[in-house]
Amino acid sequence: MTTGGPRRVAGAEPAAAYTSPPTARAGHPAVATAVISWLTTVDHKRIGILYGVTAFAFLLVGGLEALLIRTQLLRPNLGVVSAETYNALFTMHGTTMVFLAIMPLNAAFFNYVIPLMIGARDVAFPRLNALSYWIFLVGGLFLNASFLAGAPPDVGWFGYANLTTRPFSPGPSVDFWLLSLQILGASSIIAAVNFIATILNMRAPGMTLMRMPLFVWMALVVQFLIVLAFPAVTVGLIFLMFDRFFGTHFYDVAAGGDLHLWQHLFWIFGHPEVYILILPAFGIVSEVLPTFSRKPLFGAQVMIYSGILIGFFGFGVWSHHMFAVGMGPIADAAFAIATMIIAIPTGVKIFNWLATMWGGRLRPSVAFHYAAGLVGLFTIGGLSGIMHASPPVDLQQHDSYFVVAHMHYVLIGGSLFGIFAGLYYWWPKVTGRMLDERLGTLQFWVVAVGFNVAFFPQHFLGALGMPRRIYTYSHGSGWELWNFVSSVGAYVLGLGVLLFVVVAVRSLRGGARAPADPWDGRTLEWRTSSPPPVHDFDAIPPVYGRDSFWREKYGDARGQKPAPRVETPDPHGIHLPSASIWPIVIALGLGIAAFGALYHLALVVIGAGVTVIGAFAFALEHHRNPAHADQVGNLGVDHRKLAMWTFLGSECFLFGTLIATYVAYNGRSVVGPHPHEILNIPLTTLSTFDLLMSSLLMVLALAAVQRGDRRQARLWLAGTALFGAIFLGFQAYEFTAFVHEGLTLQTNLFGSTFFVLTGFHGGHVTLGVVWLLSLLVLDLRGRLGVQDAMKVEVAGLYWHFVDVVWIVIFTVVYLIP
Amino acid sequence: MSAPADHASIGTYLKVAAILAVITALEFGVIYIRRLTPILVPLLIILSVGKFALVVMYFMHLRYDTKPLTFLFVAPLVLAVALALSLMTLPGDFLLFKR
Repeated sequence: MTTGGPRRVAGAEPAAAYTSPPTARAGHPAVATAVISWLTTVDHKRIGILYGVTAFAFLLVGGLEALLIRTQLLRPNLGVVSAETYNALFTMHGTTMVFLAIMPLNAAFFNYVIPLMIGARDVAFPRLNALSYWIFLVGGLFLNASFLAGAPPDVGWFGYANLTTRPFSPGPSVDFWLLSLQILGASSIIAAVNFIATILNMRAPGMTLMRMPLFVWMALVVQFLIVLAFPAVTVGLIFLMFDRFFGTHFYDVAAGGDLHLWQHLFWIFGHPEVYILILPAFGIVSEVLPTFSRKPLFGAQVMIYSGILIGFFGFGVWSHHMFAVGMGPIADAAFAIATMIIAIPTGVKIFNWLATMWGGRLRPSVAFHYAAGLVGLFTIGGLSGIMHASPPVDLQQHDSYFVVAHMHYVLIGGSLFGIFAGLYYWWPKVTGRMLDERLGTLQFWVVAVGFNVAFFPQHFLGALGMPRRIYTYSHGSGWELWNFVSSVGAYVLGLGVLLFVVVAVRSLRGGARAPADPWDGRTLEWRTSSPPPVHDFDAIPPVYGRDSFWREKYGDARGQKPAPRVETPDPHGIHLPSASIWPIVIALGLGIAAFGALYHLALVVIGAGVTVIGAFAFALEHHRNPAHADQVGNLGVDHRKLAMWTFLGSECFLFGTLIATYVAYNGRSVVGPHPHEILNIPLTTLSTFDLLMSSLLMVLALAAVQRGDRRQARLWLAGTALFGAIFLGFQAYEFTAFVHEGLTLQTNLFGSTFFVLTGFHGGHVTLGVVWLLSLLVLDLRGRLGVQDAMKVEVAGLYWHFVDVVWIVIFTVVYLIP
Repeated sequence: MSAPADHASIGTYLKVAAILAVITALEFGVIYIRRLTPILVPLLIILSVGKFALVVMYFMHLRYDTKPLTFLFVAPLVLAVALALSLMTLPGDFLLFKR
């Protein structure tokens, strides 16, 4: 169900055909029309608002959980909640704040602001953008539905094995947790691929990479962190899912499994996740401070490189979360050094922000308060983080309240303060209304005081030996005073967050109208109206350098203004993507399947069916739509190709983790059969040859489509799909033979790792075969021509990747003794 | 859409496929040659890397495409290999790092 072809919107061009957006169709749209328009929207600004509102609601939920925790700890021996409920509260609080509040609040800014900042009309894949949001919503609701089912997860947000395995967590609580994280991970990776393509390929002419605003740069680094970090935890969760649902042995010590594996997989994701949460805040601060200091960002290029270095080193420090497990002095030293190195680019940022403010004409707006607050408070969290980088010191502080204090100084003093800075900064742009600066300043001080009173004493509690995650403590422990102070601070902090709701509602109801450029801004988003028109800009804005809009208004360092450019509107009008119902349908299908996994197999089938139908409808919705034909951007590459290569980079991590686990567990099975007793190398050599030759057929198919030879295109597409099907036949035969010889998923560690690794590869091949057959059907119906070659090329990239993954599996699993 | 002229010719594809077939046959053969046992693992890895590179460079056209695409794939690939080696090493047997 769509509104038809791409909408064309009148901007400055009088000749353009005009079709108004759905909400403006009747002047006073009916409620149903308005609701449908939001459900089917693909506008990056609306999706940004959806992310923001939803994530703020989850922030309140997570905050309520935190207040219950602090109420329980207000005084010794309280019984406000039981120990079991307390476990659920800190699990849900952590999971909610990380995945449902801070990450999506950052995503709200990415969605709303990035296209405006780079001078684009939307993101590269607007419907995928909507899909990311709806999947996120389904994941968030699914996680919180565990409360309604009476089984909230209670294993910590880190879900350490083997506490999460079936014998120790027999109910559905962990299933809610792991399935929701899988759903949320899919949402994040889809969004990240989309934004990488958007930022790299959709910048306005003249917007070189080094001219991009810092917020866009930090967002870009974050997207790479997401696509590369999430696969590790995805694999860890797949193992957990198989252990719980199918009886495999990944986290079964008795069968030879290693519990450290989960910790590694979780923290390979978990530490980059810290930067996924904090770097957007760094980007926001890097926009707010220059604007309210009326100075360019000090050392902008160094700030960019620092952000990249933080992201890069973020991948090499995960085991500093594991100093207490006993990895040995070499591993401890390596991860300690890497962790300390990260302090250097982070320190560069702190000093550059100070240098930006130094000598500036400071305007103490609320946004500036929050940005400056971040500089101070994050530094406190950063310094305590360096303390944890030292293994001997970390061993003393591990699992104590000192770590809780550190983490909250980073994630509230850093991330949340940055988010509030962004909310106050971009609110006028989003709503067209100003916020009350006096009330906002009061709100800042309530939050700042409440936060510090809540969390600074937790350093003392940690030093006094109070462990994390205990639901009560006794009189005479020495922890009474600081727990009381901390809880009072938490209530004040909660009040401060609620006060923001008051500030926001007052603004929406009667705030002063916001001009296009209320803060005398420096970047392109301030060049368009507040709120921006549906098409963002009447004409794509010119870019004169870093801080382009500032240069346009005031000139460069010497005061020389650029010569005004004639902004010529597109003679063909402005094409905007049409609304689509399919993103929400696909997300709904995933939600149904997830519930089915817990309650009834029929629901899994129904959910999977809805998802598959939705995916096909999604894929074919705009087939042959001329507005979608040309998607070549700044890099001279089609968005779809760029996105596919980015996705394949992510897939390298997925399969790298699966293969590494197979190798790490090789030879650890306590019972047979073992690989050398059962693997059929001659047969697998044949199937390998078959898959390699399918890649040859794939390139021949692409070449035929590119030259318009439909007969050969059909032949080679069918051949590729057939060879893929033959490979799957070999695999089915091999699996069946193994089962007959006594090797199943449950037999031993070899069976678990082998079937999951090769099974996932087989799943990828199956998807590829379906994709190829879909292209073949299109061709048979005369709907696959030269203009569709990019679709075949993208499918081919996926197919070849599946091939190269098998090249590695064949060597590692079958050939190497 | 990249122009077909930017890609390898059909002849090149056929040569690459032939090389891939030969390497696969070699891989199968060398595991049965006892004298190669001491160097078997590095040999198999080299052959596998060669096949991987041929498919990526020619069938996936990375050799003919823009540099950013190479970066988008090769950088994560290198990082993934590094992480995979760490994962093989760190848990359990500690192949490189001793406790």
